[in-house]
Amino acid sequence: MAVLETELKTYEENREKLLAEAEGKYVLIHGEDVLGVYESQMDAISAGYENLGEVPFLTKQILRVDEPIEFHPGLLGF
Amino acid sequence: MPSYVVQNPNLQRTGPVVNLDVGIGATAEALRKTANVALPAPIPVEAMIDTGASVSVIQSGLPLQLGLTPIGVATISTASSAKFRCPQYAMRLLFANQVVFEATLVAAPLQGHRVQLLIGRDLLTQGVFVYMGCGNTFSLSF
Repeated sequence: MAVLETELKTYEENREKLLAEAEGKYVLIHGEDVLGVYESQMDAISAGYENLGEVPFLTKQILRVDEPIEFHPGLLGF
Repeated sequence: MPSYVVQNPNLQRTGPVVNLDVGIGATAEALRKTANVALPAPIPVEAMIDTGASVSVIQSGLPLQLGLTPIGVATISTASSAKFRCPQYAMRLLFANQVVFEATLVAAPLQGHRVQLLIGRDLLTQGVFVYMGCGNTFSLSF
C-alpha cells in the first residue's frame, strides 16, 4: 500500500467539512480517524507523536486546491 | 547572526554544498527519552543549497536509518516526470555553527550519492544566502 493511503482517503472523505470549518489550518489523521485541527504543522506533528507514538500518521494543511511541489529537473532521481 | 563562508575553486561544478548532520526531530527524541529508548546518532550529510526547490528534500532511506515514521505526504512534480507522492518526516538539521532547525523534510531519491539533502526555500526563508560566482564563494547566514 502506498504511503499513508488510508489517511489520504480519510482526508478526501472529510475534505469539505474540514474546508468549511478550518481552511488553512493543519489536520492530524490516523487511519480513518480525524484526530484534530491545529494552527501549525509542527503543532499537529507534536500532537501526533504525543497521542499515537512513533507510528505513521498524516499531518496536512487544509487547502481547497492542493498544488504539487514543483522541482527544476536535475537532482531528483525520478 | 551565525554565518558560513565557503570558498571552493570548483564552485561552478559542485554547487553550493555544506556539511551538516541530520537527526530525529525534537518530539520523537523526547518520546524516546521518556521510553528509555536509545537515540540514534545524527547522520552526517552533504547538503546542497537549491533555490529552485520550494521545500527541502532528504535522500530516501536516511529517515528510515533513524527509525523515523512518516508524518505527511507531499506530491512532487518535475518538468521531466509525472507526479509522485513522497513521505515527509520531522527531522532536525544540525549545522556546524550551532544552528539547529526543526524541519519537515520530503524524502525522495536524489541522483548520485554525493548530495543527500537539498536545502530549499522553506529553510532559506529564515536566513541569507549569497552566491558570489566571480569569487567562487558563497555564504549562508541564519
